[in-house]
Amino acid sequence: MEIIFPTMAQLVGPLRKELADSLSSCRVLVVGAGGIGCELLKNLVLTGFKNIEVIDLDTIDVSNLNRQFLFQKKHVGKSKAQVAKESVLRFCPSANITAYHDSIMNPDYNVEFFRNFQLVMNALDNRAARNHVNRMCLAADIPLIESGTAGYLGQVTVIKKGQTECYECQPKPTQKTFPGCTIRNTPSEPIHCIVWAKYLFNQLFGEEDADQEVSPDTADPEVAWNPADAAARATASNKDGDIKRVSTKEWARSTGYDPVKLFNKLFKDDIMYLLTMDKLWKKRKAPLPLDWTEIHQLESSQEEAFGSGLKDQQVLGVQGYAQLFHRSVKTLRSQLIEKGEGAELVWDKDDPPAMDFVTAAANLRMNVFSMNMKSRFDVKSMAGNIIPAIATTNAVIAGLIVLEALKTLNSDFDQCRTIFLNKQPNPRKKLLVPCALDPPNPNCFVCASKPEVTVKLNVHKTIVQALQDKILKEKLGMVAPDVQIEDGKGTILISSEEGETEANNNKFLSDFGIRNGSRLQADDFLQDYTLLVNLIHSEELEKDVEFEVVGDAPDKAPAPNVPEEGKNIANGNKDSAQPSTSSKAAAEDDDVLIVDSDEEPSSSTMETSPESSNRKRKHHDADTDDAASKRKRLDQQPADDDEDIIALD
Amino acid sequence: MTDHKTSKEQKYDRQLRLWGDHGQEALENAHVCLINATATGTEILKNLVLPGIGAFTIVDGHKVSGEGVGNNFFLTSSSIGKNRAQAATELLQELNSDVSGNFVEESPDKLLDNDPEFFHRFSLVIGVQLPESTCLRLGSVLWDAGVTFLVCRTYGLIGYMRLIVKEHTVIESHPDNALEDLRLDQPFTELKHHIESYDLDSMAKKDHSHTPWIIVVAKYLEKWYSEHNSQLPKNYKEKEAFRQLIREGILTNENGKPEDEENFEEAIKNVNTALNPTKVPSATEDIFNAEQCENITSQSPSFWVMAQGVRDFVRNEGNGKLPVRGTIPDMIADSDKFIKLQNVYRDKAMKDAAVVSKHVEALLQSVGKPPESISEQKIKLFCKNAAFLRVVHCRSLAEEYSMDTFNKDEITSCMDSEMVLYLMLHSVDRFYQQHSRYPGVYNYQVEEDINNLKLCVNSLLQEYSLNVNVKDDYIHEFCRYGAAEPHTVAAFLGGSAAQEAIKIITHQFVPFNNTFLYNAMSQTSATFQL
Repeated sequence: MEIIFPTMAQLVGPLRKELADSLSSCRVLVVGAGGIGCELLKNLVLTGFKNIEVIDLDTIDVSNLNRQFLFQKKHVGKSKAQVAKESVLRFCPSANITAYHDSIMNPDYNVEFFRNFQLVMNALDNRAARNHVNRMCLAADIPLIESGTAGYLGQVTVIKKGQTECYECQPKPTQKTFPGCTIRNTPSEPIHCIVWAKYLFNQLFGEEDADQEVSPDTADPEVAWNPADAAARATASNKDGDIKRVSTKEWARSTGYDPVKLFNKLFKDDIMYLLTMDKLWKKRKAPLPLDWTEIHQLESSQEEAFGSGLKDQQVLGVQGYAQLFHRSVKTLRSQLIEKGEGAELVWDKDDPPAMDFVTAAANLRMNVFSMNMKSRFDVKSMAGNIIPAIATTNAVIAGLIVLEALKTLNSDFDQCRTIFLNKQPNPRKKLLVPCALDPPNPNCFVCASKPEVTVKLNVHKTIVQALQDKILKEKLGMVAPDVQIEDGKGTILISSEEGETEANNNKFLSDFGIRNGSRLQADDFLQDYTLLVNLIHSEELEKDVEFEVVGDAPDKAPAPNVPEEGKNIANGNKDSAQPSTSSKAAAEDDDVLIVDSDEEPSSSTMETSPESSNRKRKHHDADTDDAASKRKRLDQQPADDDEDIIALD
Repeated sequence: MTDHKTSKEQKYDRQLRLWGDHGQEALENAHVCLINATATGTEILKNLVLPGIGAFTIVDGHKVSGEGVGNNFFLTSSSIGKNRAQAATELLQELNSDVSGNFVEESPDKLLDNDPEFFHRFSLVIGVQLPESTCLRLGSVLWDAGVTFLVCRTYGLIGYMRLIVKEHTVIESHPDNALEDLRLDQPFTELKHHIESYDLDSMAKKDHSHTPWIIVVAKYLEKWYSEHNSQLPKNYKEKEAFRQLIREGILTNENGKPEDEENFEEAIKNVNTALNPTKVPSATEDIFNAEQCENITSQSPSFWVMAQGVRDFVRNEGNGKLPVRGTIPDMIADSDKFIKLQNVYRDKAMKDAAVVSKHVEALLQSVGKPPESISEQKIKLFCKNAAFLRVVHCRSLAEEYSMDTFNKDEITSCMDSEMVLYLMLHSVDRFYQQHSRYPGVYNYQVEEDINNLKLCVNSLLQEYSLNVNVKDDYIHEFCRYGAAEPHTVAAFLGGSAAQEAIKIITHQFVPFNNTFLYNAMSQTSATFQL
């Protein structure tokens, strides 16, 4: 039976015939098969697109089912890309769909691969992958449609090499990380305790990571070295294994993961040890250690649960969380034993015992540091960087994407728009705010013809490994950089071939003669991207700042005591505040674009467009005070209680 | 059972974060009727089935066509020739086993002829791609029955929605930038006592810098009052002086330099909003003065019963003020001080709500209804949102169409925006009346249709004495559309309409009032009151 594709093709401008033909012959790539991806695949086949490839490394989770309509309960655990393809084919058997259960950052998907397509559409949830696809499309000179949603908000934009801004033309505020000593010694916000609890999970049950220490940090720059202190600390730490030398995991294992011993070490002994660093507590309120036996002697009258509604939304008391800690450690211990020798658990917000553990440990630590405790529901939002997501917004955005796609295929780039979807009509009665696309930023460190960037760092303190991992990969979005020094000799500093330059990893940059004004050439063959890095040596970087990209969006240094709820959680939403899932970070959340929906309006697109007053004001607020985060908080406010907030920047 | 509940909580986790468990409950109790399972219709329903409405019923007398299969995801080629309601129900049902799907193989006109009361049972009726005559007929039946009606239409690259509801009440309107309800200008007794329990001057440094900013502002306000005749700082200059007063209260170290006291910084930052005079917002005042609030009968919806309860509170125990909301923002403070302060507000809110409950109870009894017919929890929620209550009144379709009552001003003043599309939609309906088909559906007739459509436009403008200009381009464009229903436009409208449906069903957020137009060519949209 021949399927008649109706009238979309007739409708789009004078090129209707050519466009209609091109729809059935052109090949498109959809990156991501989540909330937007599902809607998009449906819209594409029903608009007449025939040759579609879709890639997603994620598998299906129960919490996807409220919007990712190509999946059903029986598909939980299976590949999103594969199931999406099968579901679409059931409805539209004539489509030609290829599915990849893989990461788009895998080197197999090189520039040649991208050149197979007339158009690439992102339906992604994280900035690392968005950066990467942006570069691949620039390198292959293939138009890209970028999109994202968060709760009721959404956005679509078109990127075409040389004609429009690329995804990275406007600096985006860096995703916030927390200084190690804030996490280990002086947490001041709930998110610090939640990050600590996630570190702790990995230290105890998962993959140990030296960057995720949870025990007191004696090298805290705030604690001036003083022999008497050291002696006091030595006595304090002798009780239950030396904190310095035995790893948390080894120690936990030696006790057989005894929940009570773990509890007393984490919430009593370690805290007493912290108390010996008395300089820390001169201006701060000192932590109050918890003792397992003592808290169980407390009157349980104080243990009345706060909050109403769902069980998850109630805040238990200290006793309740101590019990939850006890239970979850036991469950995780048996999971670990079941998995056999040397096994590791991976933290997942949707795994109940893992979530219970983090809820309990984080709340106990909040109590120790005199913070208001949080419900499991809230902790989950913060720990999992959960952004609310609903079918309706994704449907609207996916509809807009295809309309932009048709204009793109018609090469009508001047007709293409960046479109913002508001929660409700703005004062000018607009639900949708379309803005003309901006031309490329000539100084963009990605799409300029000779990309350059200037980085300020301390050459005596920065090691090659940090240059590679933190600056080139994490900050500048490269996947496998090769770096040579422009010193006339072409010294190779970093090679993407395994085993070639590992010996350099722990050396300081100054060991290679790198100094103020040195230039590095960084190449990423996969991204077909060469970047000239100018180095400025500086001894005066702020505390806990390893480097600064000059001209970058003004990073507010992580303020130690930011009080606003919205802001706290906003921190929690950044990818890098969730370090325990590094291997899975790219797939961490759903179809959501964290960074764009509220940050991109700051781009010059918005400055020049008369339509943008609403957005602009929003951004302006963000600069001046916290109205913006407040507003977001209200946007997202679940009806039940003012404290259930998920901010989204 | 509990298992089922947990799995639902998991499945709906991401949306519970937007509308809460009571919003979800409202969805699960809703029964939505969809008329016509076209692409737009099934897209809307998909977006309601996924988040878990209780039940849907599709009414459709059409058979599945090849073209329908081409633009509708929920029809397959094997269903060609079958009834469209049945075919779509089968596939939509698959999306969510918690939803009950039903269908009626009948046209809405037939149902209106034989059993107009059929439509009374629904929480919401969504009519898609309806001819004007059916729309008006159904609109009048639903208007009289008090059933909300959402009209949706995809016409080429144009999307159209019209909401028709006599009265829609919203307790949780989720306003942007809501001010906190702190009562610092008129502290209630318990708050006064609590403030008195603090003595900033004799505090240890640690306590001083962990005192909630609300207390700090209250303390310095007392000081201010003593120097300013008990008047609040009103203008910018006075507020600045007040900020300075607080600033001077920051402790200093041995060298005379101010300490880092972030609670004081917060206090200074919040002066502006914290000193807003407590009063009943005008929208809430309007609700108190509404006739429905005045005359409660046994038929009155709970919203109005509670509104009168709150009104009586304001006029008596509340001394002109709404019940205390009972929440405070997060702030720098140690847990102990924060929780104590929070409890002061929370307890007062509970007390106020209890008083409102008494009023509501008495009111219910006076009209012969059991006092428990409105739950305690609901009254608390109502009190908490008393400052944000909204009532939406849409005009009926009859009013919109009638020569005497149509909104001429809105039409003539908005002609530079999407309003022209509205007139064009009216014109193609007029064309349909005359020719029993839409313009441009057959390629060979396009030229002729353009002329005929132009006549329709002119007669419409003349009939309504509208002195506006509709460019020929629009007439050509609408003929070119051939009443097609492109999938992506349907998908867009499906998302937008379902979102409005969810607002209506959950009574959260404020729905649009009353006409929405979307132009997919320019990616623009607008709302009008017609």
